[in-house]
Amino acid sequence: MADRCFVNSIVQVSCQPPLYDTWFDSPCIYEERYVRALEPDTKGLISPSETRRMSRILKRAVYTSLTALNDAETDMPDAVITGTGMGCMENSENFLVDLCRYGEQCLKPTLFMQSTHNTISSLIAIILKCHGYNNTYSHKGISFESSLLDAWVQLKSGMLRNALVGAHDEVTPFMSLAMKKTHPEYSMVSEASVSAVVTSEKSEKNICEITDVKILYRPEYKEFANLLNPGDDEILLLGVNGNALNDAHYTKVLETVTYSPLTLQYKNIFGDNFSAPALGFYAAVNVLEKQRIPSAMMLKDRRETYTDDIRGITILNHSDGNAWSLIRLRRI
Amino acid sequence: MADRIFVTGAGIISALGVGSEATLRSLMEGKTGIGRIRHLDTEHEEFPVGEVALSNADMSRMLDVGYPEDGIRTVLMGILAAKEAVAVAELSDEDLRKTAFISGTTVGGMDKTERYFKGILDTDAGTEDSRELKYNDCGYSTELIADNIGRFNLVTTTSTACSSAANAIVLGANLIKSGVVDIVVAGGAEALTKFHLNGFNTLMILDKEICRPFDKNRAGINLGEGAAYIVLESERSAMARDVNILGVLSGYANTCDAFHQTATSENGEGAYLAMSRAIDMAGLTPGDIDYINAHGTGTPNNDETELAAMFRIWDKNLPRFSSTKAFTGHTTSASGAIEAVICLLALKNGFIPRNLGWKDPVREGAVPVIENIVDADMENIIDNSFGFGGNDSSLIFSKYHKTNG
Repeated sequence: MADRCFVNSIVQVSCQPPLYDTWFDSPCIYEERYVRALEPDTKGLISPSETRRMSRILKRAVYTSLTALNDAETDMPDAVITGTGMGCMENSENFLVDLCRYGEQCLKPTLFMQSTHNTISSLIAIILKCHGYNNTYSHKGISFESSLLDAWVQLKSGMLRNALVGAHDEVTPFMSLAMKKTHPEYSMVSEASVSAVVTSEKSEKNICEITDVKILYRPEYKEFANLLNPGDDEILLLGVNGNALNDAHYTKVLETVTYSPLTLQYKNIFGDNFSAPALGFYAAVNVLEKQRIPSAMMLKDRRETYTDDIRGITILNHSDGNAWSLIRLRRI
Repeated sequence: MADRIFVTGAGIISALGVGSEATLRSLMEGKTGIGRIRHLDTEHEEFPVGEVALSNADMSRMLDVGYPEDGIRTVLMGILAAKEAVAVAELSDEDLRKTAFISGTTVGGMDKTERYFKGILDTDAGTEDSRELKYNDCGYSTELIADNIGRFNLVTTTSTACSSAANAIVLGANLIKSGVVDIVVAGGAEALTKFHLNGFNTLMILDKEICRPFDKNRAGINLGEGAAYIVLESERSAMARDVNILGVLSGYANTCDAFHQTATSENGEGAYLAMSRAIDMAGLTPGDIDYINAHGTGTPNNDETELAAMFRIWDKNLPRFSSTKAFTGHTTSASGAIEAVICLLALKNGFIPRNLGWKDPVREGAVPVIENIVDADMENIIDNSFGFGGNDSSLIFSKYHKTNG
């Protein structure tokens, strides 16, 4: 039985330039409260006639998926598993707007057809002609982690050899306004598309190892004292976003641990949305690969020194303080 | 085998009524739950629907958990069904703390969004009304259902259109298999919405008559609504708790047709793979399947494809099959779980529900069960759920025996 799980490639599209690691040393700084993702260059990957029919989120998802598969040299994944908190929001919203403005006649089928959350995972399968396992999770800020957990349990039990796992969310201008009321705790509302190839096969393609994926619902803070072990978790990547309401939950967790971990952040670079934890995962994979922590990620160095031998990172995120996720990554 | 996954609880609400007993009674009486629209605010009164008879106010009163009637209909139905499942499985508050809750839904709180959206659109998205949009996405609906049942250990949401609930069950089974949890409450909930009714109408796949799955002259879907959950449990845990076992989830598979977002391939590749892989996982042969509760939506495309896949597996010897969509309507995201509960009732009672509305075969040999069968001694039943995007899943429920025999 295969009992290990590795990341072989990871690709993002966000408010930071795609592919290029410029965010690492000189991230784009945004003053706005709402930032859309930069458009990826899909030339050579998908034909213009195909992209013309795709909404922004679909284009980004196809771009990150195909690039991640290329990078991992995986032609056909065993599974395509996608997380998306809000799904194909632009199409859903436009369908609703039409419904409100023009009533229940003469609505456009295309908007409806490409409005369901699983449009993304299905489109990737259609492009790849992949008949394997295909699933979509839509659970607020743990949508990505739900997908990763699904892949993880199947890789560990030998049901899959590899999987294309991703998370994608788009935020329309209308939604960004509404989110001031619905999610006042988001300091910078952004968009995210992340795709990764994970596998149970040890090879030279492995970038890092995933050693744990947990989803917790309404845990008591003291439960984290057991989950976060000193030595094992010298570096903690947290989903803090600068908002007191949001960040207080992490402070309470840190109060339960008996050691002083080095704490990192990523939402100051990538913003916040339901798929943001996938960008945290992306950032952590990069830190482990490069063995370097960009200064923008340093939250607060609670220790005087830290070793530049970065062995592992534990990523901790929560959504509304209810849904929590913990991912543990190890250097190869 | 030590790794069997048992079903120890089931709960259901649909156009056929509230609870497993009412559901079985309606099925046995051959009484469809489909009728004229009563609760949904729409001008499309020409379409019959499988509406849950209760209003939101009725359900809110029945629940007695303080979930308000101006809340989300998906949540109201979800709480009712999940409560029954948890009660049947005799799960204590302490058990729930170790239990995962996985729910499938596609539009979540869309009914509530529809109530507020126009107002927000006409004024400004930055107004207080926008707060009403907060709890309307899929994940929030699931958490609201979960919170009204108890304190679960892990909560998440699958969203693969009409196979959402089946895929919640698939994840649940995999979580048990890999030892993440021992008990999972899995299923789905979906209310009728203007969004869905109009969406399906743009695709021109809604039937103005009561739907006729597998009939030569079938003309489409009647949308339905409802919720259902089953309790999956590791053999070890069920034995330790000494609870009644309703059946065994002996096989399951999730595959993708990878053909088109809303149409199915001619040879039914996705459906074929889902059924065959589930049979393989169960360690069975096609001949061991006693009944198929088909996806059978009543659209020309789905039924033809599903039959094509069935003929590929069984050739001319199709097992008995029927679609219960002409009873419940197509309950979209909830359908995989609603039909799972129907399969468990069938298994327990030796009962095969008839395929209402059928007259002529689509092709030679494609004759569903048209009269109720009440003395069917069945061992293995397949529950098919196929969704937009080619998300095809099959579940196999088998009769429980002390050993695998």
